[in-house]
Amino acid sequence: MSEQKKLIYNNEICTGCRSCVVGCSLYHDGECGKVVSRVAIVRNEQHGESYVVGCDGCTDAPCAAVCPTGACAMDPVAGITKVDANKCIGCKECANACPFGAINMHYKTGKAFKCDLCEGRDEGPVCADWCVSGAISYETPTIAMKGKRREKLNERLKAAKVGEEG
Amino acid sequence: MYGWAGQRLRVDLTTGEITKEPLSYEYRRKWIGGRGFNSEVMYNEVPANMDPFDPRARVCFGTGPMSGTAAPSTGRVTVTCKSPLTGGFGDSNMGGHWGAEVKYAGYDQIIIQGRAKHPVYLWIDDDKVEIRDARHLWGKFPRDADPMIKQELGDEDIHIMMIGPAGENMVRFACAFNDVWRAAGRTGTGAVIGSKNLKAIATRGSGTVKIADPKKMMDVCNRLRQAFKTDPMKIGLNMFGSLCLINVANRDGWFPWNNFQFGSHPLANNVSGESHAETVLKHREGCFACPIACGRFTEIRDGKYAGETFGGPEYEHAVPTGPRCGIVEDPNDVWHNCRLTNDYGLDAIECGGAISSAMEWFQRGLITTKDTGGLELTFGNADATEKLIHQIGQRKGFGAILAEGADRAADKLGLPKEAHYYTITTRGMTLPGDDPRGLGFGYGLSFAVGTRGGCDHLRSLCCLELSGALYPGLNTKLLGDESANKPVTTNGKSYMVYYEENQKATTDCLNVCCFTTHWSYAVLTPDQVEYLNAVTGLDFTEEEFQEVGERVVNLERAYWNKHMSGAREDTVPERFLKEPMPENGVDYQTNIGATLPLNEMLPQYYKYRDWDSKTGFPTERKLKQLGLENVAKDLAPLRSKYLSEAEKKNVKYYV
Repeated sequence: MSEQKKLIYNNEICTGCRSCVVGCSLYHDGECGKVVSRVAIVRNEQHGESYVVGCDGCTDAPCAAVCPTGACAMDPVAGITKVDANKCIGCKECANACPFGAINMHYKTGKAFKCDLCEGRDEGPVCADWCVSGAISYETPTIAMKGKRREKLNERLKAAKVGEEG
Repeated sequence: MYGWAGQRLRVDLTTGEITKEPLSYEYRRKWIGGRGFNSEVMYNEVPANMDPFDPRARVCFGTGPMSGTAAPSTGRVTVTCKSPLTGGFGDSNMGGHWGAEVKYAGYDQIIIQGRAKHPVYLWIDDDKVEIRDARHLWGKFPRDADPMIKQELGDEDIHIMMIGPAGENMVRFACAFNDVWRAAGRTGTGAVIGSKNLKAIATRGSGTVKIADPKKMMDVCNRLRQAFKTDPMKIGLNMFGSLCLINVANRDGWFPWNNFQFGSHPLANNVSGESHAETVLKHREGCFACPIACGRFTEIRDGKYAGETFGGPEYEHAVPTGPRCGIVEDPNDVWHNCRLTNDYGLDAIECGGAISSAMEWFQRGLITTKDTGGLELTFGNADATEKLIHQIGQRKGFGAILAEGADRAADKLGLPKEAHYYTITTRGMTLPGDDPRGLGFGYGLSFAVGTRGGCDHLRSLCCLELSGALYPGLNTKLLGDESANKPVTTNGKSYMVYYEENQKATTDCLNVCCFTTHWSYAVLTPDQVEYLNAVTGLDFTEEEFQEVGERVVNLERAYWNKHMSGAREDTVPERFLKEPMPENGVDYQTNIGATLPLNEMLPQYYKYRDWDSKTGFPTERKLKQLGLENVAKDLAPLRSKYLSEAEKKNVKYYV
């Protein structure tokens, strides 16, 4: 069985444009806004820094572990936790437990909502699809790590070469 | 309500009164939003003879029905006021995220009027609006004041519109910022905000924009965002920012070296986007929902300015206080000046225009070091330029005179008429760093007729002649003439400017970024109509879409007409008409010897516009056709008055 894909965030190149945010909210809720987006951008304008905050798809997911009703539970097929709105009582335990702040309470229902990898969308999660910089990608961690390994190695080799010449 | 928030916020700083006014369906349909709403308010609420600094004058911030939605680049805001620089119609447009935030807070427009007794800022927390003391923020650079406000309000995720010290000092070309670095540069909006004792508008919006047809909207956005992935202009803008123009400008001979005396320079590549990306680029920045992300964040890494960081630069940000003032050898001087104009909150274009005009006066012996307070204003003198930017921002020394803008400065100094030849302005505003003898004759025409003074690379933004060649068949499709994609020709240019001005005006009404629709042509009118209808649930057609733009252009034109500004003033700086483009040591420069044949294009342009060729006023027929009956009535007695003053000398600025 092939490995499950995950959303991978690379904050170094995020432009902070929030295309992911508007795409996410439009796809899931049919309206556009930061408050209904499953992914968030934290910006620090003064220093020109932007960070993506979204569900990292934890294997031992704290959100599922603390849920008192079993509403938030791991979906073994998708490889990510999902919230069953029928079971959710809106206690915010999962939102508090998430180490990244990737779970919010919905302004209409008062219940928890989070990333579901845009279940059913052929092109994959809209945030990664619309990301202009590549700061959000949707790929298998093993392949992503292979790419990263080679990239870092090349950087080291290049630095060493400059050192020799310099 | 879909798309729009459905109300505008009006704040009177004299009385402290805060009102929310509903916007009717007819009003929204007629003006759409952003620039349309703002221009309507300007025309009907700010009389032509009013001083721009009069407390009764308005400053408007407009968002559009697309603001905050998933369409490409929906974070723009139009800032409109009576321009203290030109005395006429003034507006400017900025990116960033504040526009979307205002929409999420529930407003389509914010109108500020009156004058506070002491410096204040506005805190818009959704439906709660509060006027707060800003005395401790007065005099602070935006990059320092922004975090102070965030800390004070206990929320670092809010977005803030702000002016810098230049706006507080009412420098006539001060600008407004949001998100610290995104400027609404032109026409001096910052000075009017400063005149009202308003430092900032902090905003938290926790609402959403409702979409009438989400599925349709998702389909359109998917399609457009896919198109951007391979769009040729997007790739250049994303890689190198708008500085990607530098090498193109140098090749085509519109690099404004030494105040437009030359069109090229052998060292231009020093300040190109390519060099910038290699040496000082820290980060790429995107405005709200943007698939291009042309914004830069810069960190100077060596030399005496090492360690300085700032948001930007853009092409038009770097060129005026750099190459236009003769500075190109050490790019760090150029980047440093960009940071300074940001800090003070100055329109970099006008600031560079004023300094380079003074440099040319100095070169021609019209002024000496006695006038300049000892500054040797020779082209390329980076130290003097830096000192002058500080002086202008603080309104001190010779800078206090230049802070009035180049034309007013010439008169204040009592210089002969000849001095105005070197200010490179029309209707009181200086041109951006784009020489129409090389950039394109369409741009030249656009500079002459634009409805916010002389700048107006953003009035028509007729890139059909600049990037048009990257989209084969596009000029044929839109204008019926493929040869219009060549810059240095008059073919099809009158219609191009007419078409692009209308198209750009509606785009500003929607408040989406014109880089998605005019630089890059990935989004065309049918796409815009499609996403507008998907968002609002209405049934706009392409014809109606263009007509709204035409209505806005004609209304703004009429505002100038009320100032006795018409056909006589529809010209470009004489340099472009009289001086053939000289060589300057760049052997691949393509336009040597060119002048701008403005008079070959103007009559045809008036015909497309249905403007009277003698006065340059919109005809009564045209105004009525656009539903501007009240404007037709206003202009009726002024037509003969304008003609009877035909012998009057060209006015360089108004009120």
